[in-house]
Amino acid sequence: MTVRQPADRRTAVLRTLRKPQFWFGLAVLAPLVIWYVWFAFSPIVRAFWMAVVEYQILRPEESEFVGLQHFRMLFEYNLFWTSIRNTLVYAAVFYICMVPLALFISACLTSVTRGRNFYQFVIFLPVVVSLVAISLLFKMLMNPQLGQLNEILRAVGLPPSQFLTSHKSALYSVIGVDIWKALGFYVVILTAGMLNIPEEMYDAAKVDGAGVLARFWRITLPLLGHTLALVSVLIVMHGLQVFAQVVIMPSQPGGPGDATYVLNLLVYTEAFANLRFGFATATAFTLFVFVFIITVIQLRLLRPSWSY
Amino acid sequence: MHSENAAQTTRINTAARLEQLRVAVVHAVLLIFAVSSVMPFVWMLFGSFKSYVELTSGESLWPQVWTIENYRAIIFRANFPQAFWNSTLVSVVVTACVVLTSTAAAFVFAKYRFWGKEQLFIVILMTMMVPFAVVLVPLYVTIADIGLNNKLSGVIVPVLFSTFGIFLMRQFLEGIPTDLIDAGRIDGASEWWIFSRIVIPLSTAPMAALAVFTFLFNWDNYLWPLVVLSSPKTQTLPIVLAGLRSLYWERYDMWAAGSMLTVAPVMLLYAVAQKQFIRGITMTGLKA
Repeated sequence: MTVRQPADRRTAVLRTLRKPQFWFGLAVLAPLVIWYVWFAFSPIVRAFWMAVVEYQILRPEESEFVGLQHFRMLFEYNLFWTSIRNTLVYAAVFYICMVPLALFISACLTSVTRGRNFYQFVIFLPVVVSLVAISLLFKMLMNPQLGQLNEILRAVGLPPSQFLTSHKSALYSVIGVDIWKALGFYVVILTAGMLNIPEEMYDAAKVDGAGVLARFWRITLPLLGHTLALVSVLIVMHGLQVFAQVVIMPSQPGGPGDATYVLNLLVYTEAFANLRFGFATATAFTLFVFVFIITVIQLRLLRPSWSY
Repeated sequence: MHSENAAQTTRINTAARLEQLRVAVVHAVLLIFAVSSVMPFVWMLFGSFKSYVELTSGESLWPQVWTIENYRAIIFRANFPQAFWNSTLVSVVVTACVVLTSTAAAFVFAKYRFWGKEQLFIVILMTMMVPFAVVLVPLYVTIADIGLNNKLSGVIVPVLFSTFGIFLMRQFLEGIPTDLIDAGRIDGASEWWIFSRIVIPLSTAPMAALAVFTFLFNWDNYLWPLVVLSSPKTQTLPIVLAGLRSLYWERYDMWAAGSMLTVAPVMLLYAVAQKQFIRGITMTGLKA
């Protein structure tokens, strides 16, 4: 028994080696694993290390261990707290506006049959267009003197806004553009989810005399389940990780002043303008903590308890 | 009896009219959103053909005097052709690679049995949880270490595999009957033959969706190219476009023309492949 075991193992290995699946699998998985180790796992591990050392750009191996000093510095850094506040306000306002709006449009889309594809096609258009182009476009439209948006506001009798040039309205202007651009993406997901709900449910509710609102609250929302949870997580992630808009739309990145300074921008400037790699990575980890906590909480709260 | 019937008819009539009204309101709402989604682009399109004076005077949407001066300036002075070529190269190469690697990896993860498969898959999926900002600096150091800094390959290499793509394709390939694959094996077909003649033809729909997504993402990507590419020869479209802010300070006519040039290929792609766009999104939404 003990004598035969190695031979058994050897034939087993030989049998595996003779399988065509083994070679194809190896040819696919070997590059995959190498790539993931090199460009995904090791940067993450390296990020942990960078956050706790004083990173020397020219001689990384001589970087000195500083423990949690970067985090202590961060907590005493005013711009850090401004960035956190802006990022959270951004994500919260984006979420609070986007979820009801996307649900509303999707409900409208599912309730019409004629023209649905056309509406979807058009509302999805801003999603496919480059974020940089859209940021430039709205920078023009939001010009307080020359921009079209103020003309529209004046035409409907509302007071004109300073939009991106005022400390008060800049962040909300950027959020507004982001909602305009991203709306179609979530509408398409939610519409597909709503169309997936069996028609009989609605028919039964109609027989029972449930109105439009009751049907939405009692059938559509609960049965959207997984789709709504996914959309909700995606919307929060989107809001927390805003970057290009706050670089391009205001007169200077994060401006005016620090009105639109967000965590991603702080990471970028600390790393590539101030060349403080360790400090930048420590900042990124605080963003990670927010993303992680909020995602876990959402998945706990929104996980549907039943399905159909 | 008679009056009861009449009352019923009026009730039905009112209900029908209410329903008509509801449909009309819904159409009106959708129309408003549709128009507001398109109008800024219409303004941009016409604006790009106006002179600076006409654009900023804001008289009418339709250009009084058509001019292509803006496009000429953008193309000949702002390095757009080079950027256009760089963006095309990056997007096409990455899209081809990602579609191939995702489908192959998804095939292995969906249909093969080997030790540690699920663990490996979960570890790969977990990388999606990490915000890009966390790996921004370490990844930059990695790329600089292997000398890809300020090269297009520095943009391409870190996105050759896509966790999202592997996930999407695996969801789909698990639905393909294993019998089909086994039948091929019994007939003595090689794994590559099975992959290229059975798996790929069956999964053209999700592959097209993934291709569209990947192309779009790379065409529009801003942060990573901004970090890696520093010289004008290597910069991609979004970087050059964003650079118009300082190159042509507050020259809205130039911005409009540059934006149009950046946006046009994507809009064309969208008009042609609208189904793939929508399907790609709905597939991820419903199966996740």
